[in-house]
Amino acid sequence: MPTYALRRTLQAIPILLILSAVLFAIVKAAPGGPLAAAERNPNVTAEQLARLRDRLGLDQPIYVQYGKWLVNFALAGDWGESIKFRRPVSDMILERLPATFLLVSAAFVLMLALAVPAGVIAASRPYSWFDHTLTTLSFAGQSVPTFWLGLILILIFYIWLKNPFTGEPLFPAGGMGTLGADRNLLDLLWHLVLPTVALSAGYVAWYSRFLRSSMRDILNEDYVRTGRAKGLSERAVLFKHAARNALLPLVTMLALDLPAVFSGALFVENIFSWPGMGRLFWDAARGRDYPVLQAVVMINAVLIVAFNLFADLLYGLLDPRVRYD
Amino acid sequence: MTDAVLEREPVQGGAAVPEGMLRQVWRRFARHRLAVASLVILVGLIGAALAAPLNPYDPNAQAPVDKLQAPSAEHWLGTDSRGRDLLARLQYGGQISLSVGLLSTLLTLVIGTAIGAAGGYYGGWIDNVLMRFTDAFLTFPTTFVLILISALLRELPYPQLKNSVLVVIIVIGALSWMYTARLVRGLVLVLRERDFVIAARALGASDARIILGHILPNCLGPILVNGTLQMAFAVITESGLSYLGFGIQPPTASWGNILEEAQQHIFRAPWLAIFPGALIFLVAMAVNYIGDGLRDGLDPYLVRGAKG
Amino acid sequence: MTPHPRALARLALGLGLLLAACTAAPTAAPATEPTGAPVVQPTAAAAEGQGGAGGQIVLIIPEEPTSLNRYLGDAAIVRQVADTVSGTGLTYVDPAGQYQAALAAELPSAANGGLSEDLKTVTWHLKPDLKWSDGQPLTTADIVHTWETIANPDSGALAQTGGFAEITSIETPDDVTAIVTYAKPYPDYLGQFSAGLFPKHATGAPADMLGWEWNLKPVGAGPFRVTEWRAGESITLERNPYYYEVGKPSLDQIIFSIVPDEAAQEAIMQQGDAHVQLWPGADKATYDARMAGVASQKLVPGVWNLAIDFNLSAPNDGDTGAGTPHPILGDIRVRQAMAHAIDYDVLVDEVLGDQGVVHSTNPFAYGWYQCDLPRQQNYDVEAAKRLLEEAGWVEGPDGIRVAQGVVNAPDGTRLTLELQGYTNYDPLQLTEEWLAEQWKAVGIEITIVNYDFSIIFGSLSDGSPRKTGDFDMLIYDRSFTIEPQQEVSAYFLSTSIPGADNPDGDNYFRWVNPTADSLIAAAGGTFDQAERKQAYCALGEMVQTELPQLYLYVFQDGYGFSSRLSGYSVSTWGSMTWDIQNWQLAP
Repeated sequence: MPTYALRRTLQAIPILLILSAVLFAIVKAAPGGPLAAAERNPNVTAEQLARLRDRLGLDQPIYVQYGKWLVNFALAGDWGESIKFRRPVSDMILERLPATFLLVSAAFVLMLALAVPAGVIAASRPYSWFDHTLTTLSFAGQSVPTFWLGLILILIFYIWLKNPFTGEPLFPAGGMGTLGADRNLLDLLWHLVLPTVALSAGYVAWYSRFLRSSMRDILNEDYVRTGRAKGLSERAVLFKHAARNALLPLVTMLALDLPAVFSGALFVENIFSWPGMGRLFWDAARGRDYPVLQAVVMINAVLIVAFNLFADLLYGLLDPRVRYD
Repeated sequence: MTDAVLEREPVQGGAAVPEGMLRQVWRRFARHRLAVASLVILVGLIGAALAAPLNPYDPNAQAPVDKLQAPSAEHWLGTDSRGRDLLARLQYGGQISLSVGLLSTLLTLVIGTAIGAAGGYYGGWIDNVLMRFTDAFLTFPTTFVLILISALLRELPYPQLKNSVLVVIIVIGALSWMYTARLVRGLVLVLRERDFVIAARALGASDARIILGHILPNCLGPILVNGTLQMAFAVITESGLSYLGFGIQPPTASWGNILEEAQQHIFRAPWLAIFPGALIFLVAMAVNYIGDGLRDGLDPYLVRGAKG
Repeated sequence: MTPHPRALARLALGLGLLLAACTAAPTAAPATEPTGAPVVQPTAAAAEGQGGAGGQIVLIIPEEPTSLNRYLGDAAIVRQVADTVSGTGLTYVDPAGQYQAALAAELPSAANGGLSEDLKTVTWHLKPDLKWSDGQPLTTADIVHTWETIANPDSGALAQTGGFAEITSIETPDDVTAIVTYAKPYPDYLGQFSAGLFPKHATGAPADMLGWEWNLKPVGAGPFRVTEWRAGESITLERNPYYYEVGKPSLDQIIFSIVPDEAAQEAIMQQGDAHVQLWPGADKATYDARMAGVASQKLVPGVWNLAIDFNLSAPNDGDTGAGTPHPILGDIRVRQAMAHAIDYDVLVDEVLGDQGVVHSTNPFAYGWYQCDLPRQQNYDVEAAKRLLEEAGWVEGPDGIRVAQGVVNAPDGTRLTLELQGYTNYDPLQLTEEWLAEQWKAVGIEITIVNYDFSIIFGSLSDGSPRKTGDFDMLIYDRSFTIEPQQEVSAYFLSTSIPGADNPDGDNYFRWVNPTADSLIAAAGGTFDQAERKQAYCALGEMVQTELPQLYLYVFQDGYGFSSRLSGYSVSTWGSMTWDIQNWQLAP
């Protein structure tokens, strides 16, 4: 097992290298480059420009530049400097990561909390109205653009519905806390509700359907039939055998879908003014702040690789049938 | 995506898909009522989009005096904030959105099938290289890279790249083929050991002929199912890109950018946003159901591996 | 299209033109992150300022400011926030476009002895007992520090830098007197320290300006001071008890809330959870109706003046200068016809009805130099057609005109022109499409080509078409500052045609006119506003007659204000918060 983990980790490295090279090339291809604005500025002298070019190492061959960038990025934690904010990109990303992690984790918790019971019920009553509704909902959830859903939630829960006791909106329209008030956990959770729902809505029904179909498969397996024949109660069959075994592929699925959820967060953060990494990326894309774009994409890629690896290992850990060789 | 490929009976024998099979598939498909309804809806929407020239209104002609009109006999779905006929824009926008969906899906399937089939059939180092390549693309955070590339392409001094429709089709296609490649590779791995393939090889058929004539026809079902999922994804992605300002650029209409423009007015003129939103939703739903129906129809023939 | 087209373009302009990247050594990162514990402040108990009625307001901005240091980059979004903290300097610009004293006791002039006879020495007097927002005294040593920083080439200062390099010395005989000496007369001397001062005790070494912690948490002379900055979310400020105007500001706390989605912004305003909205997307009538009395939109003409540049010289001939005349546009009758073919009222009132624009006929559309000149070419399709016929352009089989005896073009040449603009800016695209239709109606075919912002406004070495002269017509918005002499010279002098020897020239139309040159020289030879305005207006009339450019409209800035707020005013020259010290909040 440890050797397997090590091997998989090593396999991930060339993949990240390819990606980093592609990203580096993209940023290099951007017109003007980091000096574009300085070149246009009449107050910047030729001498200053030369000094800048020298400091940024722009007169070196491209592979040297790439090598330096890579070493800085991976080993020195130096992700460059934002063109727009003129601050280290690493600082900016670290500021924004917690908000995104909070949102994504909350969404995953909600997904599991709703999807698991729904999936179990659907599996125990296949082709019932509940099962059919779930199917419809799972397609519907996948067919609604996230940004659209977010706006509808604001319309309903911020504008239309009011708290009957205070007359205040039921949920806030955005942000991580009430402006001008001290932050506390309750306030944070209150602000977290709508973005979490918007982010997880597309997945809940989808996962419950996934769970339902893997449970159906397991319920048809010989050992379950044997269990039933031996007089095990239906409840024991469902929960002890089927649900437990079906959770495994679901967890894998969750890990692999993580990047898609991060993408979803891009939209949700924008609509709910949530100060996360997705917002940072969008602002940077509009301002053509390439060092920030490069770093955010790279971080996401590393996360994806890490979670792929994690899912692989978890699968092996939980399922004794999988062998590593 | 787990690439555990469970094998059920693939089609045996022949080069072409037998006539009887098609009928059988259709019979099973037809039992899925929602799938049939979806097919009717999708064909209807395509028809409506193609009928755009019959609409007397120019989708881009602005009539500022007539802005934000509610649906009426003159403007069946009303007008937008620049007085343009919403129906005409949705029809022309439908041509664009559906083309983006279809063409990017086609691109996805072609690239994915080519890479997957080559890897699966030849195995060895070719497979290894192709699969590492696929893995690398799978680590691309798709939406982020889509935005990065769209932002970049628009900045390069080549006017042909200003054609945002083409750019969107290519970036969506180029970043989504990996699932198809994995799926096809898995199928081909199984199929290449089949008797009919071995027999064809013994008879001296070329690799290309074996892959195109014998193996791929047997993969058609799963590829189609995969394609329906991809198409839904493409239509949604186009609207998302438009919302963030990196999709199809106005004045060219697409459902995505019509919706984006409408969402700016969502709290004061919600009806404006209902139609494009509903269309995107309908198409994505319909395509999903058609995929579901296809899966049912092809079930006995299916070599499973697609999502869900 | 992006949710905030107008805001976006503003931001982009600010970025592209004013804020250059990475100009000096980022030796030190900002030592603290903008999030985190509130700034520790000395107790305000000793302060003499007494606020008014108090209260807390929320101001919605679409994007986070990059810093609160206006010299680092004067993007509009930076000013909205910086003006409440660090943007208070010796003077400010009032809505009429005139300088008024802020921290200065009075405006230096020849009459009060503040301006020397040779116009090179300016003597400033500070108001007595000024204090920074941390309670430390504000003295003329801070003026010297500000000059030393901005004039230091390593500081990374990019915006508001005009004039600093020409200062040869600043003497400070006492804490409230600063004698500034210039190498040569500097017409905008009153604006020299109008964007704020740097406190010597709370900033750092001039060469390290990029890394100053101060940039994000400035100690300033403005009406408020930062208490908390949550990255990407909000910036909270409290009343500055040491503010120089006694009894102001009235508000206790202001919070800038960063809300990117336009629909969400409106929802929050409409629910009364915010009090000010920067650049609402909707036009005033729609906005006010939507807000139903909770808030309304205030409009003020901004500085962005939209015009078409005609290239008077032949494009794509390898010559950046004014050598050969343009085959079509070289004939003034064609330009006149094009001007006659536009229905300006429909353009402003209908096509751009949502955008809030006002007519503009010449380069001098606002400020103390504003010239209210009537249009010389009114909407007259017949006149347009007649002029084209006279010029030898006869109607072809498909309605587009063809040359027959034209001065600069061989017979059979089709009357087709390219109109270049930049992408992603709603009003520009609306205007382009409208113009193309108008011109088609008189037989002129237009191809619209939009490039990214960075290409249209690129440098000569980037091959930007306007610099190389390889275009027919350009359409974009440009602005003048409060002191326009430098910009006017760059645009209209015949020596300002861009080329290898003069890459920074802005005479894109390749207009050579000795009368214009002498008018510009006359305006530059004096500090007398009335005299200068006369010269500028004569130049404005010439631009209308000769038509190197055709001016269309000026954009207005729109701000949503809660009906609970009072005491505010909107200004062409200021941000929405320029007079926030006067705002009052009704309960």
